[in-house]
Amino acid sequence: MKVLKIVPEKCTGCLRCELACSYMQTGAFQPAKSVIRVSPYEGHTSYAPYTCTQCAEGWCMTACPVGAITITPAGAKDVVDDRCVGCKLCTIACPYGTIFYDHDTRKAFKCDLCGGAPACAEACPTAAIVYEETTTADWLADFAVERSARLLASGAR
Amino acid sequence: MSPTALTRMKAAPHAHAEEIPGGYAGKLLRVNLTTGKIWSQPWTPDDMRLYVGGVGLGAKILYDEVGPRVNWDHPDNRLILATGPLAGLPVWGTGGLTVVTRGAMTNGATSTQANGFFGACLKFSGYDAIVIQGRAPRWVSLYINDDAVELRDARHLLGKDTWETQDALSAEHGLSGHRLSVYSIGPAGENLVRFAAIQGDYGHVASKNGCGAVMGKKRLKAVCIVRGTRALAAADSRGVIQAADDIAHDLKTDPSARSLYEWGTLPAVTGLYKMGVLPIKNYTTNLAPPDVNMADWEGPKLRQGFDHRGHQCSACGMHHCHIQVIPKGKHKGELVDEPEYEGWSGAGWAIGCTDPVAVAWLNTRIDRACVDVNEFGWLCGWVMEGIETGYITRAQLGFDLRWGDAEGAARLLQLISHRKGLGDLLAEGVKRAAEKLGGAAQDAAIYTLKGASPRGHDHRARWDEMLDTCTASTGTLESGIPVHVTEVGLPPRINPFNGEEVAQQVAGIRGRRHFEDSLGACIFTTRTRLENICRALSAATGWHYTVDESVRFGRRTAAILRAFNLRCGIGPEVEHPSKRYGSTPTDGPAKGQAIGQQWGKMLDTWYTLVGYDRKTGRPKPETLKKLGLDWLHKDLWGKKR
Repeated sequence: MKVLKIVPEKCTGCLRCELACSYMQTGAFQPAKSVIRVSPYEGHTSYAPYTCTQCAEGWCMTACPVGAITITPAGAKDVVDDRCVGCKLCTIACPYGTIFYDHDTRKAFKCDLCGGAPACAEACPTAAIVYEETTTADWLADFAVERSARLLASGAR
Repeated sequence: MSPTALTRMKAAPHAHAEEIPGGYAGKLLRVNLTTGKIWSQPWTPDDMRLYVGGVGLGAKILYDEVGPRVNWDHPDNRLILATGPLAGLPVWGTGGLTVVTRGAMTNGATSTQANGFFGACLKFSGYDAIVIQGRAPRWVSLYINDDAVELRDARHLLGKDTWETQDALSAEHGLSGHRLSVYSIGPAGENLVRFAAIQGDYGHVASKNGCGAVMGKKRLKAVCIVRGTRALAAADSRGVIQAADDIAHDLKTDPSARSLYEWGTLPAVTGLYKMGVLPIKNYTTNLAPPDVNMADWEGPKLRQGFDHRGHQCSACGMHHCHIQVIPKGKHKGELVDEPEYEGWSGAGWAIGCTDPVAVAWLNTRIDRACVDVNEFGWLCGWVMEGIETGYITRAQLGFDLRWGDAEGAARLLQLISHRKGLGDLLAEGVKRAAEKLGGAAQDAAIYTLKGASPRGHDHRARWDEMLDTCTASTGTLESGIPVHVTEVGLPPRINPFNGEEVAQQVAGIRGRRHFEDSLGACIFTTRTRLENICRALSAATGWHYTVDESVRFGRRTAAILRAFNLRCGIGPEVEHPSKRYGSTPTDGPAKGQAIGQQWGKMLDTWYTLVGYDRKTGRPKPETLKKLGLDWLHKDLWGKKR
């Protein structure tokens, strides 16, 4: 299956992904409504994009009292607007902070993988966001194990 | 330390939203620092088409609102921070800021650019430009967060350099990275150093014509914009994305842009050296010292000699701006902005400093104290030559300053930015300092009689830029880089030492740069065919914008700025290089090429081709008519047509 992966060391913080994402989400360029968000680290010297990892055990889905979060054919957890009552429980349940509440529409919104062709990956000029085949949806765990091992080996704290 | 709110703006009206072309926020933010009044002013779709944004919009406001007696330091002078219709859109490098004002170096029009995220943040806050007038009773910063626009006490920021100012404001607001764009002046601007600049987002500098001195005179320490939450619509969003992708493809593959894409401006050091265009030791030579291996100055070497990381502007994929770490020596571990070519030359070769680590450190010091790196190079090199040959003494300066001494140069920078000792005279820039000392000192100084600082090149081997710098009305170059010249009917190659051909080229490409500088984009990411840029603009706005219209627009803007300068008393009599600037190289690849011999003829040709009167400098009536500037006729020629 295909998953959206982040390669943080390649990110230069240009925020082009946020423009592309907000266009797919809203039809206009409005980074405030992007569901991929680039965070600065180490002051202003490092950046990393971050969005929903579509985790296998979707706590947003579990928490939703009206069953408004479903799984799309692309494998994304997505909010069904007609069912969402805007209670924000999902935004509290999500351990990664990647499901949001829109004050204008009064609905939750999140990454839906753009129906299988994520605009952020297409927009990223440095391939810091890639959409690729993996053996498991839980790519983040492998990533974390690999990164921890690498940092420990290099003597970083 | 919670800043005091002096003024709060009333909610802005959203009356004419349906008429605004895509790509525009539709409003200008007006600030009167004297009274503390802040208001928003809608502008019309017709004006958007006519003046586009950036320098185009700024030129019109400057012409309409700054009269001949309003000198650069007058409270009524305007400081216009303008972006353009592409800012905030996914075209690469679209965080652009153009500063337009009556500048301190020429006391005439200014157009100077920086990037980062200013333009994008401003547009998402709902404004296309900020127009600042008046003088604050005490030091303030301008804070913009969508409709909340306030002047805040900035006395606690005084004395901080530009990076410290941004650090402090980020900490105060709890916003890091690109969530807050801050453009500020350093100590140099506070102390009205004539070539002070405005710096923002760690490493982007609007450097030309003393725009930082204007900001300092207004007692405005910083402008900080929270990344707004507004939506920016394009007429054809898909079209914008497609045009952006085509431009990106062009930048990655076209020979005229590809090295910029891969290495930014770094490769220019060796590239220009081979043509005799790298300025070395205040134009005293064009040859590298024997102990310097030019292979160490290749672009990849310069980048990889440092721990570095991309630090791109809004939506940009160029491998251009980087943050790097000083790897060794006294300043080991300090974070610096990777120097542009202009930094390697101004903080390096022009002052005889050929240690890349020292140059990288000094360059960021210059950005932080915040002066123009080009003018600093000419000034510091001139002082070093003066110490060597005797027109400036150690006693006058208070310390020794030899070629290549980066630490000494940083000490000089401090003297200048605080106007201490000889620094008070030097803070006037090399032209005024040299004219005051006269004699051998004046003969050795690199400047234009107009007051504009040349870029960090040896223009004795780049005649197009010398002609452009001397004739321009922007306080720097105005005619643009000769790329894709065949698109505007020019020959693909010229003899760079044939004055006639050079003047034809400079006149022929005129218009392109003004157009680029009106879009809220970067001249490096618009280094594609104009046709592509026009396609992006058309998709954004819904206009059918053609290459012809873009060139005509650019030339119209140039003529307005020219009329502004003439009204300020700046005419053809000062369109001349200083003695050293216009001299003949005595060694290197351009040895013996004498621009002085062809200068008069070059000006004649240029004036004929741009359609300006050779004697008075005025755009001719037929030129005005052709450009749709009939309204300027009366001002320039004194009677109705």
